[in-house]
Amino acid sequence: MVANTHEQEFETQELLINMGPQHPSTHGVFRMVLGVDGEVVTDVVPHIGYMHRGAEKLCETMDFRQGVGYMDRTEYLANFNAELSYVLAVEKLAGIEVPERAQWVRMILCELNRLSSHFMFTGAFGTDVGVFGTAFVYSFREREVLLDLFEEITGDRLMYAYFRPGGLAWEVPDNFESRVHEVLLSAERGIRDMDGLLTQNEIFLARTKGVGAISAADAIDWGMSGPSLRASGVPLDLRRDDPYLYYPQVKFDVITGEAGDVFDRYHVRLKEMRESVRIIEQCMERLADGPILPERLPRMLRTPPGEIYERTEAPRGEYGIYLVSQGGNRPYRLKIRSACLSNLQALRDMTIGHYVADAVVILGSIDIVLCEVDR
Amino acid sequence: MRGIVRAMATTLGTFVRGPVTREYPERHRPIPQRDRAFPLLLWDFDTDEPFCTGCHACERACPVECMTVLMKDNPAHTSLGGTSKRRKIIDKFWIDYARCMRCNICVEVCNFDAIAMNNTWSGHEISVYDRADLVMDLPQLLAQHKAGAIDEWVAP
Amino acid sequence: MNGEIFGFEINIWLDALARLGLAVGLMTVAAMALIYLERKVIARFQQRLGPTRTGPAGILQSPADALKLLGKEDLRPKNADPWVFELAPYFVFVPIFLVFVAIPFAFGWQIRILELGLLYVLAVSSINIVGWVMAGWGSDNRYAMLGALRAAAQGISYELPLVIALVAVAMVVSLPGDVRGSLNLGEIVTEQGHIPYIVWQPLAFVIFYVAMLAELNRTPFDIPVGESEVVGGPFVEYSGIRWSMFFLGEYTALLLLSLLGAAVFLGGWAWPLGETVAEQNEILGVLYQFGLTAAKTGFLIFTVFWVRATMPRMRVDQLMAFSWKVLLPLSFAQILANGLVLVYGWPDVLLLLASGAGLVLLAVIIDRAVKRPAERPGRPSGALEGEAAT
Repeated sequence: MVANTHEQEFETQELLINMGPQHPSTHGVFRMVLGVDGEVVTDVVPHIGYMHRGAEKLCETMDFRQGVGYMDRTEYLANFNAELSYVLAVEKLAGIEVPERAQWVRMILCELNRLSSHFMFTGAFGTDVGVFGTAFVYSFREREVLLDLFEEITGDRLMYAYFRPGGLAWEVPDNFESRVHEVLLSAERGIRDMDGLLTQNEIFLARTKGVGAISAADAIDWGMSGPSLRASGVPLDLRRDDPYLYYPQVKFDVITGEAGDVFDRYHVRLKEMRESVRIIEQCMERLADGPILPERLPRMLRTPPGEIYERTEAPRGEYGIYLVSQGGNRPYRLKIRSACLSNLQALRDMTIGHYVADAVVILGSIDIVLCEVDR
Repeated sequence: MRGIVRAMATTLGTFVRGPVTREYPERHRPIPQRDRAFPLLLWDFDTDEPFCTGCHACERACPVECMTVLMKDNPAHTSLGGTSKRRKIIDKFWIDYARCMRCNICVEVCNFDAIAMNNTWSGHEISVYDRADLVMDLPQLLAQHKAGAIDEWVAP
Repeated sequence: MNGEIFGFEINIWLDALARLGLAVGLMTVAAMALIYLERKVIARFQQRLGPTRTGPAGILQSPADALKLLGKEDLRPKNADPWVFELAPYFVFVPIFLVFVAIPFAFGWQIRILELGLLYVLAVSSINIVGWVMAGWGSDNRYAMLGALRAAAQGISYELPLVIALVAVAMVVSLPGDVRGSLNLGEIVTEQGHIPYIVWQPLAFVIFYVAMLAELNRTPFDIPVGESEVVGGPFVEYSGIRWSMFFLGEYTALLLLSLLGAAVFLGGWAWPLGETVAEQNEILGVLYQFGLTAAKTGFLIFTVFWVRATMPRMRVDQLMAFSWKVLLPLSFAQILANGLVLVYGWPDVLLLLASGAGLVLLAVIIDRAVKRPAERPGRPSGALEGEAAT
């Protein structure tokens, strides 16, 4: 009875809290409006589109070489992977055979890029969970080393524009192999530090276990992909299931989680980094001298009319390029299937019913790149 | 409790390892030869004129249309009593650094190896108060290579 | 009535003013030094350099920051409650400084020797929660409001284990003449000449330390000011001098509670050999005792920085559960065990055994709690049918 009268006397009110687009924990310019009952989230309304720059439309006015540079800008944390999807689509449509060496180098660079992207994730995620910058600095310490290597190869730290339809823009430097080994050592040190700092930490476990869980069926329904999907226990990895480059020739495990909660999404990524190191080591053994571009490549690439969908396993999931060509040197229509956008759809489902503090962690665990969401 | 102890040990380990910071404005990291800052024009020391003939190849290939090129008859051509073999030469050249996306395509399409990406710190440390100051004209584009400050790298 | 300071007799009001001025001045400088040290120490933990630009190794960073903050405009949001908003910093700032009156630095070196010093310290230091709530309420900002409510809940919940852990020590203080129990901080320290109380009461120390982190709103309990959630909590609308007062208050509180911890648990100026040295040479003794206090306080502060560089932030429900379900019962159990030992006159070793067993229990509880994943507190997935919020 007493509890009843209290309920009548105290009228609770739902409070709307605006997070973003200028908030320390929204990655990029993302805005979500949280309906809050006390500390519990009752509603989430995400607002996207702040970063829309019309990359797809722009690409329709670019020839195939120019388009590579724009792919960099859609996915600024996994540029090599984004470029790869695009050049693979163009190559398949134009029927270009890519030399072996170029393929291996592409694989190495994509996996290195996966490492640097996942480092970015672990760092930002650590900050979301509340580690005062330490996780961030550990990650960026090693990411910096990776970017140094990318700069030595491509000349730029972020916007590489290095892959070309047909192969690579230019040959890798002479000390490539020794440098990659150095970088792998430091990356392993970074993974070890990260692991030590977070994985077993009781407070971290308390914050992440059981938070933002999503079942395998729901995850598939929302169209999630990549580590976020694998954390729910769906062993889908395009490198294995829809292979491209020479992935069938290397050995690696597809990491899956069980509960699909925030901790699994973190742990899957951390383990995946170790797998990436494994893949790169195998690639380095197979890397042989050879040309990096096909012998006969037209000065201005033209494709026959047709359409194609080419997808690759980017660090955040399935990054797909749907390319329609009506002949000529530029796409008639280009559609980017963004992994982040699909993963972000599940945010509401994951967040409702959790605490405000969890909303931040869940958003962090999806590992969105707003540039890729909005394109 | 083990995890907390392990985390504390990890941070103590990095405490002992020492800082990894590069103090940027005081110490410039040596940047690799392939570094791409912004495009520059190269100077032909043999004939004392730019390599560029103003052929518009880069202008057409530029994805962001940041270049403007004007060509003229070369007054130093052999037919006019000069020493140069270039019939045409660059008259005016503007590159809007604020628009350039540093994709290196202009360097790749150039038939005369007349343009290269700046691979020194001077290419990165250009900040101005007015966007219009980022539109570089021909003398500005040529100045650095003419002064011998650039060891250019053009993709083979 | 005349007071005495440094051997000079002066009017009692002047005396009070001089003591207050000394406390405020010294503590402000100390807080600024702490801010600098924290930045440097945490930078080292993160393999960074910390401040380097202002002065040699950046030691002028804090004065520079202070000057900058003084020069900034003191903004007040239009919808803020003017009185509550403007008075809030004082409610945070003043009580913390008042606490220093009772803290012993060396033998006979405290601003006032209070018979109920411990009680005074605890009573006065908890007033600053009012300031936090005022700041959150007065700002008319939702982040601030959330932060203030969190601060209030947290402050009240952790005040209890903190007090009870200290009471556990106050119980077992053995004074000359076979009297047990004292609230006089000077006596508590003096009695630790041979063995500091952390040895007899490790559980109480751990509870004190955890509750101290929570009282100070420091990682892993920095929920009220969580940068990634409520963007600085109650201080979100403050700027300039008022904001710096909050900041100063926070660091002074850190210094204060570390001093208290050093005095009550680590033996303050008395252990080891504090009195022996003082008997040999008076001036050397005072210096040595100051050094001991500083070293122990410094160690505690360093561990606070260390924890801050390492730990993620806890969640608000976990924080409350940890206080009410774990720390509070354990601290009561500690008191109960102490009481039994004292009443029946059992040997003191039992104090250590009981406390140590409690410590093991604490570790086990934390380990077991983590294995159970958290459940969704709010409505389950049925809630998705509702309309959008905006």
